[in-house]
Amino acid sequence: MSSLSRDVAIVGVGYSDLSREGAPDSRKLTFVAVSEALADAGLAGSDIDGIFEYKFGPESPGAQEVARLIGSPNLLAFADLMPNNPSGLGGSLAAVMAVASGVCDTVLSYRCLTRAAGYTGGVAAGPDTVGGTWQYLDPYGCVGGILVNMALVKRRWMAEYGRTEEDFGRIAVNARRWSSLNPRAVLRDLITIDDYLESRMIADPLRLLDCDYPINGACATIVTTAERARDLQQVPVIVDSMAYGTGRGVDWTFADDVLYGGAVPCAEKLWERSSYTPTDIDVAQVYDGFTNVTLHWIEALGFCGFGESGDWIGDGSRIGPGGELPLNTAGGQLAEGRLHGVSFLNEAVLQLRGQCDERQVPDAEVAVVASGLYPQCGAMVLTTEL
Amino acid sequence: MTTTRETTTIDPRPLPEPDAVSAFFWEGARQQRLMVQRCEACRSMQYPPDVACIRCQSTQLEPTQVSGRGTLYSYAVVDRAYHAGFVDAVPYTVALVELVEQSGLRMITNIVDAEPEQLRVGMDLDVVFERRRGMVLPQFRPVGAAT
Repeated sequence: MSSLSRDVAIVGVGYSDLSREGAPDSRKLTFVAVSEALADAGLAGSDIDGIFEYKFGPESPGAQEVARLIGSPNLLAFADLMPNNPSGLGGSLAAVMAVASGVCDTVLSYRCLTRAAGYTGGVAAGPDTVGGTWQYLDPYGCVGGILVNMALVKRRWMAEYGRTEEDFGRIAVNARRWSSLNPRAVLRDLITIDDYLESRMIADPLRLLDCDYPINGACATIVTTAERARDLQQVPVIVDSMAYGTGRGVDWTFADDVLYGGAVPCAEKLWERSSYTPTDIDVAQVYDGFTNVTLHWIEALGFCGFGESGDWIGDGSRIGPGGELPLNTAGGQLAEGRLHGVSFLNEAVLQLRGQCDERQVPDAEVAVVASGLYPQCGAMVLTTEL
Repeated sequence: MTTTRETTTIDPRPLPEPDAVSAFFWEGARQQRLMVQRCEACRSMQYPPDVACIRCQSTQLEPTQVSGRGTLYSYAVVDRAYHAGFVDAVPYTVALVELVEQSGLRMITNIVDAEPEQLRVGMDLDVVFERRRGMVLPQFRPVGAAT
């Protein structure tokens, strides 16, 4: 028995093609990913009674548009979650809660992103005056999404723990070791620590190879009750526990804990609710929108102490293929491409089912998925056992 | 603390838009005073200003002048413009400064009158006030830096 009131299983995962070029229709991308997930589960659109998606704005079709497209007869719960969520995993977390509570039986979540929506480089025409929280940020050039914040976090962590950039580089190098084994990934060439250290600054000390890679693509996940899952065509992947976290003083810039934010309380609650501990984890899928996010999650999740992730990772073999804790086995957003957390969940499911071909982690039975960062964290522990 | 930096009248960087909550802060800057809110109930200070104390939820918040001294919590050097107003401003340094009055009381600012290679996390800073098209913004510089 898991800690949820109704046991919930992940029964379907789907992807569109992931691409670096062109401007494919986001409705088509979403439809392909959702159709794949339904087919993977052996379900039809008419089985879906809840939809949650994560979006920045108009770059992806909303929950109701997708319900119409797939022929859902009626939605019992739905929402388009705006960016204040544990990234795209927020959709799946909401889906699990909807099923666990009994409000819904079979729920779809997805994230669709396009390069046009995901590209933050270059000069944007900005407003001449800024109000709200932005009045304390934009006049100082703290602009460009969260790039400057990530640079501030990266430098502070290095200063606080006496670490160097190599620690971050190990995450970037690891992503390519895994993506070289993943035909779906958009960046598959291996890189070295020197490549990382030579990559250009985005906002010093944040480098290009610290940042994930914007793509066109969509990713979808279907959850239902564990009971129903037993009658479907895939090995059910059970949600053992889940948690959100924000930390206190919730904010990207002015939070009490600028370095870890909500990751620490999220991880504490996750393990408190789980039947497992960090030592039971066979494979970890941890958000890597920026390399610092991954390091900080590794520490918050308790795989090592605070400030110790660099030493813990060492030369990288521990988290690479054949290592003791394979990390981001699809290449993550750094290399497979940015799908805002949903792809970490799907990869964990595929690993637990044993469907990852060349990159399969042998005997993977328990996985952790952590998504989002700082004031917007979420995580799940998944297993094939119940 | 009484130094005013002058920038050109056509400085295109964005300006803050004071509102009912923040007016005292920007008015203080105009008078070369660095202001934060102090909670009358729990005595904690907060920045940015808000409608209630985020520690105890009291709405009795008093504008309070602080010393203008702080330490460099972290910084980033931005050498490309992510906003049209900063095309001529690059490279510039964005910093998170912790004020000496209270642990965790931090502001976003720029570091002025210093080259990036002179900066160290933890170094002592002083506020300096920068005039920008009819507004005045608090900025920080290393203690002892020349204008």
